Amino acid sequence: MKLSYVLQRIVLTIFIFAVVMTLNFFIPRLGVEDPAERYYPPQGNMSDVEYNIIKQYTREQYDLNGSTWEQYVKYVAKLMKGDLGNSFKSGSPKVSDLIAERIPWTLVLSVSTMLVGLIFGLLFGAFAAWKRGRWPDLLLLNASTFTTALPSFFIALILTLVLGFELEWFPAYTDSNMVATFDWSWDAIANVAYNAALPVMSTAFGSIVGYAQTTRNSVISVSNEDFILTARSKGLSNSKVLYKHTLRNALLPIVTSFGMSVSGLIGGSTVIEKIFNWNGMGTLFLEANNTNDYPLMMGIMLFMSAFALVANLVTDLCYSLLDPRVTVGGERR
Amino acid sequence: MNEELMLKLRNLKVIFPNAMGIVKAVEGIDLDIHKGECVALVGESGCGKSVTSLAVMKLLNTPPALISVDEQVIDGVELKDYSNKKMQSVRGKDISLIFQDAMSALNPVMTVGKQIQEVFMTQPGMTKALAKEKSIEALELVGIPEPQRRYNDFPHQLSGGMRQRVLIAMAFACQPKLIIADEPTTALDVTVQAQVLEVLSKMQRSNNTSLLLITHDLSVVANMADTIYVMYCGKIVEQSPAYELFKKPYHPYTKGLLGAIPKLSDERHVFIQIPDSVPNPMNKPKGCYFHPRCPHATEQCRQSMPPLREISKGRKVRCFHCMEECEK
Repeated sequence: MKLSYVLQRIVLTIFIFAVVMTLNFFIPRLGVEDPAERYYPPQGNMSDVEYNIIKQYTREQYDLNGSTWEQYVKYVAKLMKGDLGNSFKSGSPKVSDLIAERIPWTLVLSVSTMLVGLIFGLLFGAFAAWKRGRWPDLLLLNASTFTTALPSFFIALILTLVLGFELEWFPAYTDSNMVATFDWSWDAIANVAYNAALPVMSTAFGSIVGYAQTTRNSVISVSNEDFILTARSKGLSNSKVLYKHTLRNALLPIVTSFGMSVSGLIGGSTVIEKIFNWNGMGTLFLEANNTNDYPLMMGIMLFMSAFALVANLVTDLCYSLLDPRVTVGGERR
Repeated sequence: MNEELMLKLRNLKVIFPNAMGIVKAVEGIDLDIHKGECVALVGESGCGKSVTSLAVMKLLNTPPALISVDEQVIDGVELKDYSNKKMQSVRGKDISLIFQDAMSALNPVMTVGKQIQEVFMTQPGMTKALAKEKSIEALELVGIPEPQRRYNDFPHQLSGGMRQRVLIAMAFACQPKLIIADEPTTALDVTVQAQVLEVLSKMQRSNNTSLLLITHDLSVVANMADTIYVMYCGKIVEQSPAYELFKKPYHPYTKGLLGAIPKLSDERHVFIQIPDSVPNPMNKPKGCYFHPRCPHATEQCRQSMPPLREISKGRKVRCFHCMEECEK
């Protein structure tokens, strides 16, 4: 991989980040309402003078005073120092602290869903490609119709009802002490796994079927390529043809869809988190939205965009390692 | 060339059943290739040439294909009942294949050197270092400049002609007894075509390999082939030593093919065209398959399939009318 390619990708990523950051700043300000009023709604027993003083104080506290341009410059300057500002929540906690607190719990769900999806999806997809046109393949085809039609929250409700309430195998609601009592002991980890079972299952179905479908299609289309025939005509064994020629090429689209799902890892599924009362990024964003907590919303969105950008960058770079045809400017070595 | 047979193929049939009916791709062809001989199998697209080559290599997927063959002897070994596993020791070592489109026939994510190396690595007791050395040698033999550097190139970094040379190097790597070249020059432009054919012909002569050259272009084989088989709709319609075929073709289809080659000496620039197109393989005409396009077709041609008859030593023609023509 050429250094110029890496640099070009990095510069592009930084540029996109700047655009996202700017949009992120201006979009909330397009609203007619004064953020300070949102933070501190007018109280009945307060005179206009008093209320104006309070609003002025709020604006200063949250850098909402001055022209929009001045605010923007201040925002960027603080951001460069890694300061995402303070939340409207009581005690004005730092937005970055709030995010840092919730991220691990969102990752517990999203990473396990992704791993379960990837591992089972690859195995099942390869199996379906191998048994093409026979029952495993047909099962996959029908399963994909199902998971596309059924949203994950519906699956979540069914699972809660059956495995949670009827059979009582897994908790239907997350143990409210799980986060507070977590201390890296085996018991605590087991407790997390026990509580995470249902939320992970609810989203893993779609993930498994998605990866399986990609893998199946990719393996089948690669095994129809001429170079597979060439490899076989060279007298290579079936396993050599499979590992060195088919899978290596079939992996390319899977890396793409994997990379795209990585960028969604930290967003958290608001609906699933809400159903299972799981305190992750999804519920944090919901809280911010419901309380008009501008700094928190902006912080979460910016953080998610930044993460997605980095994930895409890494995917692109990995891709050009896997596929030598991917270069910039059609330059040849 | 000596009289020993390298490939003896008797009554090869390949059928593809599908939902719409049955495609009889190859309908019982016999093929003889002697040691060191270059045999050309000529015919239009879809006449079953490529299927024949894949069937000889046993590379067709069964199912969907159904294959039957009475004899498939390569250098005295009957391969008729060989399993796919057993064929792995034959492919690459005894027979190898050169494909038409070198771009798609090479793995895009593996360096060309590695791809050649793989062939050497199938030999017992081969080391990586030796295989690499031999691969670079093989690249040099087919006339690739700077083989050391090209060894590390990926297929997309080479030109079309060079890619085809890589395929040739790969096919000749283990000095097989028989090489099947399936339209090796179709994807190339004319000047590169000539270079590649020259390399192929040089390699064939220096290794004394038997070559089965599959093409739709008679001009490609004019200088290379010793014997020519003309195929139409899955059947051999004419078999002849190359020189005699060009001097006097008998079958109306062969005449049509020859008429389609432009000649430098021909100042009129008029090609003889074969009217109409190849019949649908699922719905071949009754009688002689060629009769709807044949200017000499009679009632006999419409009713029954003519046999492949020997009309002189080494010449066979599948036509009712050429006997009369011969006697004239």
